[in-house]
Amino acid sequence: MSSPIWDESAELALKRIAASGAEYGDIRIQDSSTEHIEGEDRRIASIQDSRDIGFGVRVLYHGAWGFAASSILSLEEVPRVADLAIEIAKGSASIALEKVRLAPEPVHRDCVVTPCRINPFTVSLEKKTDLLLNTMETLHRQSGIARSSASLWACRDRKLFVSTEGSRIEWDLLAGQGECTATALSEGRFASRSFNTPYLRKGYELIQEADLLREAPRVAAQAVEKVKAPVIEAGEYDLVLDPEHLSLTIHESCGHPSELDRALGYEANYAGTSFLTPDKQGSFRYGSPFVSLVADNTEPETLAATGYDDDGVMCQHWDIVRNGVFVGYCTNREVAPKIGESRSRGSNRADGWGNIPMVRIANIGLEPGSATVDQLIADVKHGIYIEGHGSYSIDQRRYNFQFGGDGFWQIENGRRTHMLRDVIYHGITPEFWNGCDGVADRSSRRRYGFITCGKGQPGQSGWMTHAASPARFRKVQVIRGESSS
Amino acid sequence: MTVVNDKGLKLTSRDEFRFLSDLVLTRSSADHTIVRLRDHHAGTARFANNQVIQNVDARRGSLAVTVAFGGQQGIASTTDFTAGAIQETLARAERIATVSPIDPEYLPPPDPCVFPIRDTAKPETMAAGPSRRLEYASEAIGQCRMENLTGAGLVSSSATAVGIAADNGLFGYERRAGASFSLTVQAGDATGWSAAAHRSIDHLKVQERTLATISKAKRSRDMCELPAGRYPVILEPAAVAGLWAWLIRSLDAKSYVKGTSAFADKLGRAIVDERIMLRNSPDHMDLFGEGFSTDGLPSLPSVWIDHGTLKQLAYDRFTAKSQGVAAIPTLEAPMLSVDGPSVHSIQDLIKSTARAILVTNFWYIRPVNLRELMLTGMTRDGTFLIENGEIVSAVKNFRFHESPLRVFQQMDLWTAPMEAVNSETGKLLVPAMVLPQFQFSSVTRF
Repeated sequence: MSSPIWDESAELALKRIAASGAEYGDIRIQDSSTEHIEGEDRRIASIQDSRDIGFGVRVLYHGAWGFAASSILSLEEVPRVADLAIEIAKGSASIALEKVRLAPEPVHRDCVVTPCRINPFTVSLEKKTDLLLNTMETLHRQSGIARSSASLWACRDRKLFVSTEGSRIEWDLLAGQGECTATALSEGRFASRSFNTPYLRKGYELIQEADLLREAPRVAAQAVEKVKAPVIEAGEYDLVLDPEHLSLTIHESCGHPSELDRALGYEANYAGTSFLTPDKQGSFRYGSPFVSLVADNTEPETLAATGYDDDGVMCQHWDIVRNGVFVGYCTNREVAPKIGESRSRGSNRADGWGNIPMVRIANIGLEPGSATVDQLIADVKHGIYIEGHGSYSIDQRRYNFQFGGDGFWQIENGRRTHMLRDVIYHGITPEFWNGCDGVADRSSRRRYGFITCGKGQPGQSGWMTHAASPARFRKVQVIRGESSS
Repeated sequence: MTVVNDKGLKLTSRDEFRFLSDLVLTRSSADHTIVRLRDHHAGTARFANNQVIQNVDARRGSLAVTVAFGGQQGIASTTDFTAGAIQETLARAERIATVSPIDPEYLPPPDPCVFPIRDTAKPETMAAGPSRRLEYASEAIGQCRMENLTGAGLVSSSATAVGIAADNGLFGYERRAGASFSLTVQAGDATGWSAAAHRSIDHLKVQERTLATISKAKRSRDMCELPAGRYPVILEPAAVAGLWAWLIRSLDAKSYVKGTSAFADKLGRAIVDERIMLRNSPDHMDLFGEGFSTDGLPSLPSVWIDHGTLKQLAYDRFTAKSQGVAAIPTLEAPMLSVDGPSVHSIQDLIKSTARAILVTNFWYIRPVNLRELMLTGMTRDGTFLIENGEIVSAVKNFRFHESPLRVFQQMDLWTAPMEAVNSETGKLLVPAMVLPQFQFSSVTRF
């Protein structure tokens, strides 16, 4: 899979690192192709085909890191960049008080390939643009729709990781996604409703199975219903949250606080720290006994299931919250030893070749319960069912949060009735999760992912999937998302 | 001239970009072809817990080719600048265009023009490398260690070559440099923060800002909890910038025309206090003015809000044409000012205030309702109660729900425009302000 120049470059870089006296080093060479087709208001607004090739060299010298990267992959540039990474690491070491010590990891020599039925890059552009144009036309057939959008995205990453410890891992990974949105206009108000496939490591079968054309009439009709829907009365409600909505709630209120680098202060200047400090591990009641949140970077098709992370650590499955108690973190080889763990959880990832890897949220999912969705709703007298993503905001310790959604339905006396608009709920993370008193069973489990999880300076995007079945939360504070509240 | 920094790295020069773009333009079979260059070389020394945790340097050159046959267009890009890769990129763009549906909004490249020449590439920043960044990081870390406090922050610098060329003769090339510094000081549970960004790395004022941040962190200790509710506020420049960044982001003309904008029917009408002016000031030395935009349009001074009245929207070229807007303004160097007598400093605002909440910065600002531009977010890194002209206590952080279209209807007092940067906005010049009413909707636990 890798070309001779990749192997030669890797060998060249590792030789320089070994000669420098550094205790560790690695090189990642990556060739990424991305196709993004965007439709807007019944037209194809852009088709972009990006090719991004480069390499990054990471060096640990006397317990301090240096990293350098370049988009010029040549036998002249590789030694320059390797030497620069070494020099930078030496500079870092000159002022370091505490030395970085890496958790041990066996040497791996492997090749990871995303299985797929239909390579999205072999599907004709005509077919894809036709799908998007037809989807937008279908959205506009609904009276009251003022604007529409539809898009398809596919990415292929070919990557080589080689370390001074002897690991050599190759990847050929795919990911894809598709979506459509309708915006309705009524009496000066506007409201949108969306349908999107999850971001998954699948071929074009992901788009075929999702069938945007089948979903478009429902999406358009619900956008119109939503813009005309009554506003919620502020107050305390029981909520039943669908898997797509929960993916964001899990991401923000469990995923980020369980990143160990955050908990140790590495992100204090930007993304923030975490209320889940190491002293709470093993004893803190994060949620009710119904709440088990599990990190699984081994589940096929999910974004973080890449076989190995960018430390060359094998992907794993572990508990973050077990029966309501906070028990585990997402870690890398650098931070795992700081809490006495002997092995990294394999959550160290870089946004492309040009960035240094850091701890990222794993595929954290909510374990299914035993109820059906209908049973969850049946036991709600005064509540709201929420689908999809809307507005969201959370403080820098991931404690005080606020979420909106994409679709809201009133629940009255155990029945889902009419749509609502401008619903916002807020709370304190552990109080919210302790209010969970039911999770639906595995049959309604769905997976949704993110490719734009922002963290780090310079900013990097992280990719991960969050699976959940619908879940019920008691006594949540709901407010109206408009000024008349 | 080829640009060489202290590590011997060369940015794509004007002549080299001319050569690369000619390689594309002379081989293109399309009706219209545009080549865009972004050759970006950046480095960051990042620290936390008074230790360097990341020290990085990366160079990414990227060339994007847009071609069009009639209204059919395609875009392809590459980071590989070899002749073969560039020709292959052109071929990919042509292949996309030939099978693309006709875009009814397609417009040919803008006419060639002479772009303004601005001082965008300060030599001291272009030449800054890892050692300079580490020196500044070390200075901030050292001050925090001396005070027995914990510092986290970054020093970064970048040099970028940006170019645009089209087959109708349009050609622009510019080198741009930038540097930034930000610091969060933790004093137990309390934090203080400051940030700076400038074309010149010499203007980051690392020592001065570090001492001010340490002082703020110390003052943030022993915080009390106040109930949520409406309070007068003193917003420091970063907090003002956070709210205005969302207002500026919402000025999209296409949404305005389609009726899906908070500003629907408000062009030419008062939207904020009549003393407020919002300008694009690309020649201001403290802002990041540019010679031209990614569309190949010149960046010129312009007035967006004139005495509270909305005068401009952010146009794409098609919407501008359809609305009869001849000159499309840019807003990469925003300056907000308030007419009338101002006070000299934030300290003067405090001294003149009977009771208010002083907000250093807002965090995670997001729209709740785009129709009203209702925003939510949290206070962060230094929130204080002011009484009788003095800081009397740090207070626990609040969540707010407010619309800039409401809160900027009236201001009690303000400073001259000051530099403002936060983690989610670019650089702006805005005043610090006293606002009579601001809605804090809940309190967090720290």
